[in-house]
Amino acid sequence: MKKNGSMKEDDAMLMHQLKRGRVKALSGLVEKYKKQAYFLALGMVGNADDAFDVSQEAFLRVYQSARTFDDKQPFFPWFYAIVANLCRNVLKKRQTVDSRQVDIDEVGYLLADDGTPETELLEREEKRKLFAAMRKLPFADREIINLNHFRMMSYDEIASILNIPRGTVMSRLYYARRRLAELMEEDERHAMRRD
Amino acid sequence: MQCDEIKELLAGYQDGELDGAQTAQVREHLAGCEACRTELGRLNKVKEVASKVQYKDLPLEVWEGYWQGVYRRIERGLGWIFASLGAVILLCFGLFHLVRDFFLRPEISIFAKLGVAGLIIGGAFLLVSLIRERMFAYHRERYREVQR
Ligand SMILES: [Zn+2]
Repeated sequence: MKKNGSMKEDDAMLMHQLKRGRVKALSGLVEKYKKQAYFLALGMVGNADDAFDVSQEAFLRVYQSARTFDDKQPFFPWFYAIVANLCRNVLKKRQTVDSRQVDIDEVGYLLADDGTPETELLEREEKRKLFAAMRKLPFADREIINLNHFRMMSYDEIASILNIPRGTVMSRLYYARRRLAELMEEDERHAMRRD
Repeated sequence: MQCDEIKELLAGYQDGELDGAQTAQVREHLAGCEACRTELGRLNKVKEVASKVQYKDLPLEVWEGYWQGVYRRIERGLGWIFASLGAVILLCFGLFHLVRDFFLRPEISIFAKLGVAGLIIGGAFLLVSLIRERMFAYHRERYREVQR
Protein backbone atom coordinates (compact mmCIF):
# COMPACT_ATOMS: atom_id res chain seq x y z
CA MET A 1 0.00 0.00 0.00
CA LYS A 2 1.48 3.29 -1.08
CA LYS A 3 1.02 6.22 1.18
CA ASN A 4 2.36 9.57 0.35
CA GLY A 5 1.09 13.09 0.69
CA SER A 6 -0.01 13.62 -2.87
CA MET A 7 -2.09 10.43 -3.00
CA LYS A 8 -3.90 11.40 0.15
CA GLU A 9 -4.58 14.82 -1.30
CA ASP A 10 -5.92 13.15 -4.42
CA ASP A 11 -8.36 11.15 -2.31
CA ALA A 12 -9.46 14.25 -0.45
CA MET A 13 -9.98 16.09 -3.71
CA LEU A 14 -11.96 13.26 -5.22
CA MET A 15 -14.15 12.95 -2.14
CA HIS A 16 -14.69 16.68 -2.20
CA GLN A 17 -15.90 16.49 -5.80
CA LEU A 18 -18.03 13.46 -5.04
CA LYS A 19 -19.72 15.39 -2.25
CA ARG A 20 -20.76 17.92 -4.85
CA GLY A 21 -22.37 15.13 -6.80
CA ARG A 22 -19.73 14.45 -9.42
CA VAL A 23 -19.96 10.73 -10.14
CA LYS A 24 -16.81 10.91 -12.23
CA ALA A 25 -14.85 11.48 -9.03
CA LEU A 26 -16.04 8.13 -7.76
CA SER A 27 -14.61 6.39 -10.79
CA GLY A 28 -11.21 7.80 -9.82
CA LEU A 29 -11.51 6.24 -6.38
CA VAL A 30 -12.79 3.00 -7.87
CA GLU A 31 -9.83 2.70 -10.23
CA LYS A 32 -7.46 3.31 -7.39
CA TYR A 33 -9.00 1.07 -4.74
CA LYS A 34 -10.95 -1.65 -6.55
CA LYS A 35 -8.28 -4.33 -6.15
CA GLN A 36 -7.62 -3.41 -2.54
CA ALA A 37 -11.33 -3.66 -1.82
CA TYR A 38 -11.69 -7.01 -3.52
CA PHE A 39 -8.67 -8.64 -1.89
CA LEU A 40 -9.49 -7.21 1.52
CA ALA A 41 -12.94 -8.71 1.27
CA LEU A 42 -11.65 -11.98 -0.15
CA GLY A 43 -9.41 -12.52 2.84
CA MET A 44 -12.36 -12.06 5.15
CA VAL A 45 -15.22 -13.79 3.37
CA GLY A 46 -13.06 -16.41 1.64
CA ASN A 47 -15.17 -16.59 -1.49
CA ALA A 48 -14.62 -14.79 -4.78
CA ASP A 49 -18.26 -14.02 -5.61
CA ASP A 50 -19.06 -12.59 -2.21
CA ALA A 51 -15.81 -10.63 -2.16
CA PHE A 52 -16.55 -9.10 -5.54
CA ASP A 53 -20.06 -8.21 -4.50
CA VAL A 54 -18.86 -6.68 -1.24
CA SER A 55 -16.27 -4.57 -3.05
CA GLN A 56 -18.79 -3.14 -5.50
CA GLU A 57 -21.35 -2.53 -2.80
CA ALA A 58 -18.69 -0.72 -0.80
CA PHE A 59 -18.22 1.81 -3.59
CA LEU A 60 -21.95 2.30 -3.82
CA ARG A 61 -21.95 3.08 -0.10
CA VAL A 62 -19.13 5.56 -0.66
CA TYR A 63 -21.35 7.30 -3.17
CA GLN A 64 -24.37 7.22 -0.89
CA SER A 65 -22.60 8.38 2.27
CA ALA A 66 -20.11 10.79 0.71
CA ARG A 67 -21.91 13.63 2.51
CA THR A 68 -21.09 12.14 5.89
CA PHE A 69 -17.38 11.84 5.06
CA ASP A 70 -15.14 14.10 7.13
CA ASP A 71 -12.74 15.87 4.77
CA LYS A 72 -10.07 16.14 7.42
CA GLN A 73 -9.87 12.38 7.81
CA PRO A 74 -7.97 10.11 5.41
CA PHE A 75 -10.16 8.26 2.95
CA PHE A 76 -8.82 4.76 3.22
CA PRO A 77 -9.61 3.95 6.88
CA TRP A 78 -13.13 5.24 6.34
CA PHE A 79 -13.48 3.13 3.24
CA TYR A 80 -12.00 0.12 5.00
CA ALA A 81 -14.61 0.39 7.74
CA ILE A 82 -17.32 0.16 5.09
CA VAL A 83 -15.72 -2.89 3.49
CA ALA A 84 -15.23 -4.61 6.85
CA ASN A 85 -18.84 -3.99 7.81
CA LEU A 86 -20.16 -5.44 4.61
CA CYS A 87 -17.94 -8.49 5.16
CA ARG A 88 -19.28 -8.84 8.66
CA ASN A 89 -22.81 -8.82 7.27
CA VAL A 90 -21.98 -11.50 4.70
CA LEU A 91 -20.47 -13.71 7.37
CA LYS A 92 -23.41 -13.17 9.70
CA LYS A 93 -25.83 -14.16 6.98
CA ARG A 94 -23.77 -17.18 6.09
CA GLN A 95 -23.36 -18.42 9.63
CA THR A 96 -26.71 -20.17 9.50
CA VAL A 97 -25.96 -22.09 6.33
CA ASP A 98 -22.20 -22.50 6.56
CA SER A 99 -21.23 -26.05 7.32
CA ARG A 100 -17.73 -24.79 8.02
CA GLN A 101 -16.30 -27.27 5.60
CA VAL A 102 -13.62 -26.02 3.30
CA ASP A 103 -13.34 -27.78 0.03
CA ILE A 104 -9.77 -28.20 -1.14
CA ASP A 105 -10.84 -27.33 -4.67
CA GLU A 106 -12.40 -24.14 -3.45
CA VAL A 107 -9.14 -23.13 -1.81
CA GLY A 108 -7.12 -24.15 -4.84
CA TYR A 109 -9.34 -22.08 -7.03
CA LEU A 110 -8.74 -18.98 -4.97
CA LEU A 111 -5.00 -19.30 -4.62
CA ALA A 112 -2.32 -18.35 -7.08
CA ASP A 113 -0.20 -21.26 -8.28
CA ASP A 114 3.24 -21.36 -6.79
CA GLY A 115 5.84 -23.95 -5.93
CA THR A 116 6.79 -27.14 -7.66
CA PRO A 117 4.35 -30.04 -8.10
CA GLU A 118 5.93 -32.16 -5.35
CA THR A 119 5.77 -29.45 -2.71
CA GLU A 120 2.40 -28.34 -3.92
CA LEU A 121 0.37 -31.17 -2.44
CA LEU A 122 1.78 -30.71 1.02
CA GLU A 123 1.48 -26.95 0.82
CA ARG A 124 -2.08 -27.18 -0.38
CA GLU A 125 -2.99 -29.35 2.56
CA GLU A 126 -1.41 -26.84 4.90
CA LYS A 127 -3.20 -23.97 3.25
CA ARG A 128 -6.48 -25.85 3.40
CA LYS A 129 -5.94 -26.31 7.11
CA LEU A 130 -5.23 -22.61 7.46
CA PHE A 131 -8.38 -21.68 5.59
CA ALA A 132 -10.52 -24.06 7.59
CA ALA A 133 -9.09 -22.54 10.74
CA MET A 134 -9.59 -18.99 9.46
CA ARG A 135 -13.27 -19.69 9.05
CA LYS A 136 -13.60 -20.58 12.68
CA LEU A 137 -11.86 -17.45 13.91
CA PRO A 138 -13.85 -14.60 15.45
CA PHE A 139 -14.13 -11.65 13.10
CA ALA A 140 -11.53 -9.44 14.81
CA ASP A 141 -8.90 -12.18 14.63
CA ARG A 142 -9.70 -12.94 11.04
CA GLU A 143 -9.49 -9.28 10.22
CA ILE A 144 -6.07 -8.73 11.72
CA ILE A 145 -4.65 -11.90 10.12
CA ASN A 146 -6.03 -10.76 6.80
CA LEU A 147 -4.48 -7.31 7.03
CA ASN A 148 -1.12 -8.50 8.28
CA HIS A 149 -0.56 -11.72 6.38
CA PHE A 150 -2.62 -11.55 3.25
CA ARG A 151 -2.47 -7.81 2.67
CA MET A 152 1.00 -7.49 4.15
CA MET A 153 0.41 -4.27 6.01
CA SER A 154 2.79 -3.00 8.66
CA TYR A 155 1.67 -2.51 12.26
CA ASP A 156 1.52 1.23 11.71
CA GLU A 157 -0.72 0.85 8.69
CA ILE A 158 -3.03 -1.55 10.52
CA ALA A 159 -3.13 0.75 13.54
CA SER A 160 -4.23 3.67 11.39
CA ILE A 161 -6.83 1.66 9.49
CA LEU A 162 -8.42 0.09 12.56
CA ASN A 163 -7.87 3.19 14.65
CA ILE A 164 -6.22 1.27 17.50
CA PRO A 165 -2.81 1.69 19.17
CA ARG A 166 0.18 -0.10 17.72
CA GLY A 167 0.58 -2.20 20.85
CA THR A 168 -2.95 -3.47 20.44
CA VAL A 169 -2.17 -4.53 16.88
CA MET A 170 0.71 -6.57 18.24
CA SER A 171 -1.17 -8.29 21.02
CA ARG A 172 -4.20 -8.94 18.82
CA LEU A 173 -1.95 -10.56 16.26
CA TYR A 174 -0.42 -12.73 18.92
CA TYR A 175 -3.81 -14.00 20.10
CA ALA A 176 -5.05 -14.46 16.55
CA ARG A 177 -1.99 -16.49 15.56
CA ARG A 178 -2.24 -18.58 18.67
CA ARG A 179 -5.90 -19.33 18.04
CA LEU A 180 -5.04 -20.25 14.47
CA ALA A 181 -2.26 -22.55 15.68
CA GLU A 182 -4.68 -24.25 18.06
CA LEU A 183 -7.30 -24.72 15.39
CA MET A 184 -4.79 -26.07 12.91
CA GLU A 185 -3.37 -28.49 15.45
CA GLU A 186 -6.88 -29.65 16.23
CA ASP A 187 -7.47 -30.25 12.54
CA GLU A 188 -4.28 -32.32 12.42
CA ARG A 189 -5.37 -34.46 15.36
CA HIS A 190 -8.72 -35.07 13.67
CA ALA A 191 -6.97 -36.11 10.49
CA MET A 192 -4.74 -38.54 12.37
CA ARG A 193 -7.71 -40.10 14.10
CA ARG A 194 -9.36 -40.61 10.73
CA ASP A 195 -6.33 -42.49 9.35
CA MET B 1 9.56 -10.08 32.67
CA GLN B 2 6.75 -12.55 33.03
CA CYS B 3 5.83 -15.04 30.30
CA ASP B 4 2.50 -13.26 29.77
CA GLU B 5 4.20 -9.97 29.06
CA ILE B 6 6.65 -11.62 26.71
CA LYS B 7 3.86 -13.37 24.83
CA GLU B 8 2.22 -10.06 24.04
CA LEU B 9 5.46 -9.10 22.31
CA LEU B 10 5.96 -12.35 20.43
CA ALA B 11 4.07 -11.33 17.31
CA GLY B 12 6.11 -8.14 17.11
CA TYR B 13 9.26 -10.19 17.62
CA GLN B 14 8.31 -12.47 14.74
CA ASP B 15 7.53 -9.55 12.45
CA GLY B 16 10.53 -7.42 13.34
CA GLU B 17 8.25 -4.72 14.70
CA LEU B 18 9.92 -4.36 18.12
CA ASP B 19 12.46 -1.76 19.07
CA GLY B 20 15.99 -2.77 20.04
CA ALA B 21 15.37 -2.89 23.77
CA GLN B 22 12.22 -4.99 23.42
CA THR B 23 13.94 -7.40 21.05
CA ALA B 24 16.75 -7.88 23.54
CA GLN B 25 14.24 -8.52 26.34
CA VAL B 26 12.39 -11.13 24.34
CA ARG B 27 15.60 -12.80 23.22
CA GLU B 28 16.89 -12.99 26.75
CA HIS B 29 13.64 -14.44 28.04
CA LEU B 30 13.45 -17.00 25.26
CA ALA B 31 16.95 -18.23 26.04
CA GLY B 32 15.83 -19.23 29.51
CA CYS B 33 12.20 -20.26 28.94
CA GLU B 34 11.29 -23.46 27.21
CA ALA B 35 7.53 -22.75 27.25
CA CYS B 36 7.85 -19.49 25.38
CA ARG B 37 10.22 -21.06 22.87
CA THR B 38 7.61 -23.73 22.14
CA GLU B 39 4.96 -21.05 21.82
CA LEU B 40 7.10 -19.13 19.35
CA GLY B 41 7.59 -22.30 17.31
CA ARG B 42 3.84 -22.74 16.98
CA LEU B 43 3.38 -19.13 15.97
CA ASN B 44 6.17 -19.36 13.43
CA LYS B 45 4.45 -22.27 11.76
CA VAL B 46 1.26 -20.25 11.35
CA LYS B 47 3.17 -17.30 10.02
CA GLU B 48 5.03 -19.50 7.58
CA VAL B 49 1.89 -21.08 6.12
CA ALA B 50 0.09 -17.75 5.99
CA SER B 51 3.00 -16.11 4.21
CA LYS B 52 2.64 -18.62 1.37
CA VAL B 53 -0.97 -17.75 0.77
CA GLN B 54 -1.40 -15.68 -2.31
CA TYR B 55 -4.78 -15.05 -3.82
CA LYS B 56 -5.34 -15.46 -7.49
CA ASP B 57 -6.16 -12.29 -9.34
CA LEU B 58 -9.36 -11.97 -11.34
CA PRO B 59 -9.25 -11.91 -15.14
CA LEU B 60 -8.46 -8.57 -16.73
CA GLU B 61 -11.93 -8.24 -18.28
CA VAL B 62 -13.47 -8.32 -14.85
CA TRP B 63 -11.34 -5.38 -13.74
CA GLU B 64 -11.98 -3.51 -16.95
CA GLY B 65 -15.74 -3.81 -16.51
CA TYR B 66 -15.57 -3.08 -12.81
CA TRP B 67 -16.55 0.57 -12.90
CA GLN B 68 -19.52 -0.27 -15.11
CA GLY B 69 -20.73 -2.61 -12.40
CA VAL B 70 -20.49 0.06 -9.72
CA TYR B 71 -22.16 2.56 -12.00
CA ARG B 72 -25.06 0.19 -12.64
CA ARG B 73 -25.57 -0.15 -8.91
CA ILE B 74 -25.75 3.62 -8.58
CA GLU B 75 -28.16 3.87 -11.49
CA ARG B 76 -30.34 1.15 -10.08
CA GLY B 77 -30.39 2.94 -6.74
CA LEU B 78 -31.45 6.20 -8.39
CA GLY B 79 -33.97 4.30 -10.50
CA TRP B 80 -35.61 2.95 -7.37
CA ILE B 81 -35.71 6.36 -5.77
CA PHE B 82 -37.39 8.00 -8.77
CA ALA B 83 -39.79 5.11 -9.33
CA SER B 84 -40.92 5.11 -5.71
CA LEU B 85 -41.18 8.90 -5.71
CA GLY B 86 -43.39 8.71 -8.80
CA ALA B 87 -45.54 6.02 -7.23
CA VAL B 88 -46.02 8.09 -4.08
CA ILE B 89 -47.02 11.18 -6.10
CA LEU B 90 -49.54 9.20 -8.14
CA LEU B 91 -50.96 7.60 -5.04
CA CYS B 92 -51.38 10.95 -3.29
CA PHE B 93 -52.94 12.46 -6.38
CA GLY B 94 -55.45 9.60 -6.71
CA LEU B 95 -56.30 9.71 -3.02
CA PHE B 96 -56.77 13.45 -3.12
CA HIS B 97 -59.31 13.16 -5.92
CA LEU B 98 -61.15 10.34 -4.26
CA VAL B 99 -61.38 12.23 -0.99
CA ARG B 100 -62.38 15.50 -2.66
CA ASP B 101 -65.19 13.81 -4.61
CA PHE B 102 -66.36 12.20 -1.41
CA PHE B 103 -66.54 15.48 0.51
CA LEU B 104 -68.13 17.41 -2.35
CA ARG B 105 -71.05 15.02 -2.70
CA PRO B 106 -74.06 16.69 -1.03
CA GLU B 107 -76.05 13.49 -0.47
CA ILE B 108 -73.48 12.14 2.02
CA SER B 109 -74.25 13.04 5.61
CA ILE B 110 -72.00 15.46 7.48
CA PHE B 111 -71.36 12.81 10.14
CA ALA B 112 -69.90 10.38 7.61
CA LYS B 113 -67.74 13.18 6.30
CA LEU B 114 -66.52 14.07 9.81
CA GLY B 115 -65.78 10.39 10.47
CA VAL B 116 -63.76 10.02 7.33
CA ALA B 117 -61.93 13.28 8.00
CA GLY B 118 -60.97 11.98 11.45
CA LEU B 119 -59.72 8.75 9.93
CA ILE B 120 -57.60 10.59 7.40
CA ILE B 121 -56.06 12.98 9.91
CA GLY B 122 -55.35 10.17 12.37
CA GLY B 123 -53.85 8.03 9.63
CA ALA B 124 -51.65 10.88 8.48
CA PHE B 125 -50.34 11.41 12.01
CA LEU B 126 -49.55 7.72 12.41
CA LEU B 127 -47.79 7.65 9.07
CA VAL B 128 -45.61 10.66 9.81
CA SER B 129 -44.68 9.27 13.20
CA LEU B 130 -43.81 5.92 11.67
CA ILE B 131 -41.67 7.48 8.96
CA ARG B 132 -39.86 9.61 11.49
CA GLU B 133 -39.07 6.59 13.61
CA ARG B 134 -37.79 4.64 10.62
CA MET B 135 -35.62 7.48 9.47
CA PHE B 136 -34.17 7.86 12.91
CA ALA B 137 -33.28 4.16 13.08
CA TYR B 138 -31.77 4.35 9.61
CA HIS B 139 -29.50 7.23 10.54
CA ARG B 140 -28.37 5.44 13.63
CA GLU B 141 -27.49 2.35 11.62
CA ARG B 142 -25.62 4.40 9.06
CA TYR B 143 -23.67 6.03 11.80
CA ARG B 144 -22.75 2.76 13.39
CA GLU B 145 -21.67 1.43 10.06
CA VAL B 146 -19.12 4.13 9.46
CA GLN B 147 -18.07 4.71 13.05
CA ARG B 148 -16.06 1.90 14.51
ZN1 LIG C 1 8.34 -17.65 29.17
